[in-house]
Amino acid sequence: MHQSLTVVLERNARLTGEFTTEPYEVAWAREARWFIRVLDTEGTGTALEVTAQISPDGLHWCDLDEGPTRIEGAGLVSWPSREFGGWLRLKGRVSGDDGAMARVMIYLALKA
Amino acid sequence: MTGPTGSSLDRSMLQALYRSDIRLSRFNPLERVLVFDDFNSGTHGWVELQGNYDGESNLDTIDDHMHDFRPPQLSSCNFFDVGTHGAMSGTYALKVATRPEKGHTAVAIRRLTMAGKGRVQFETYFTYKSEAASEENQAAQQAGSGGWDGNLHPSERQFGAFTVATDICDGVRYHCVARYLNTDLDNEMRRQWVYPIVPEPTPREHLEGKAKLDRLADFTAPNPEDWKPFGEPQELCYNEVPTKVNWHYLRWLIDTSTRSNIELQVNDRVYDMRDIPVPPYDEPYGSLENLLNFYVSVRTHTNVRNFLYLDSVLISVDW
Repeated sequence: MHQSLTVVLERNARLTGEFTTEPYEVAWAREARWFIRVLDTEGTGTALEVTAQISPDGLHWCDLDEGPTRIEGAGLVSWPSREFGGWLRLKGRVSGDDGAMARVMIYLALKA
Repeated sequence: MTGPTGSSLDRSMLQALYRSDIRLSRFNPLERVLVFDDFNSGTHGWVELQGNYDGESNLDTIDDHMHDFRPPQLSSCNFFDVGTHGAMSGTYALKVATRPEKGHTAVAIRRLTMAGKGRVQFETYFTYKSEAASEENQAAQQAGSGGWDGNLHPSERQFGAFTVATDICDGVRYHCVARYLNTDLDNEMRRQWVYPIVPEPTPREHLEGKAKLDRLADFTAPNPEDWKPFGEPQELCYNEVPTKVNWHYLRWLIDTSTRSNIELQVNDRVYDMRDIPVPPYDEPYGSLENLLNFYVSVRTHTNVRNFLYLDSVLISVDW
């Protein structure tokens, strides 16, 4: 049976402005899938844009996704990351009027 | 070590069996192995500790200090200078990692129950590290930095503390706890084993208005004055830089029939813990009958990520 592990990288977090998630080691995994639950937002025209990033060492990062995933309003969004090496994180930005905020759960589902 | 019949033959036979198993021969188990966690085959139930929440799954009801203890990682001990260091056995170790924020604590917990009372022993091979400096993390500019002499590295002063602890309930709830205080809150080396003299504040105490901790509170015992030293300072093998990994042996024995500590062994040191108090909660807790939890935590005293790595864990009992 294959190994699997789902972790919650941000729990009920109120994101504003630019952010990155904490570095997470995934060298053992062959599959990775992101789930972002936007619980609610504040501000007008609030949008969350996120890009998966990879790293050789957990210190230096570059983009894996070609473009950001854009999320507007509450709901659940998912997309996979492939051939990611040993580390994953998300780089993101909450845009909108002053006071734009997105309250989120960020899950990373991994499988060997 | 005595078996159900208490004979020395039982003990000799068990020791021979354990020694003949290459996976167990570096441990010293009691009669029954309850848990053997080799992190090359998953997390084995070690999970992020989280506080309690209400009946509507509203995570806003979690205590501020218990909502961000970070998920443990299956780490290949991967570093910027050498790539994959690997674990003591195989490639992967369990890594518990803080945020780069002074006072942040990361906690992984293992949840069991007791089928009897008596001696319980937690063994692990562990190591501990601070994150190496980079342009992004600015570790070289954070408290504790500076002063490299070619041998001692400032990274060692940027590691705060790690803790091994239990949460046990047999009608009375209590925690046995031992912490390695590497540095104090001013990033001065202490290398001292310490224990708390108060029980850990609980979510119910918060709900009842008895305790309210800040997000970065030291949740095991929030007041630094409530931690007392035991034994002499012990220098561990940090090994100079933040990217060399040397594995240490830790063996911690408690007795649930007397709700007490017995001893802690860390490499060549054995600390007699029999006189170290284990403060119980005054009030009873429901829903916790025969609770037997172990947790490990790591706490940073500067704005640098701190890591605790466990190569493997063995928990054994004499019941």
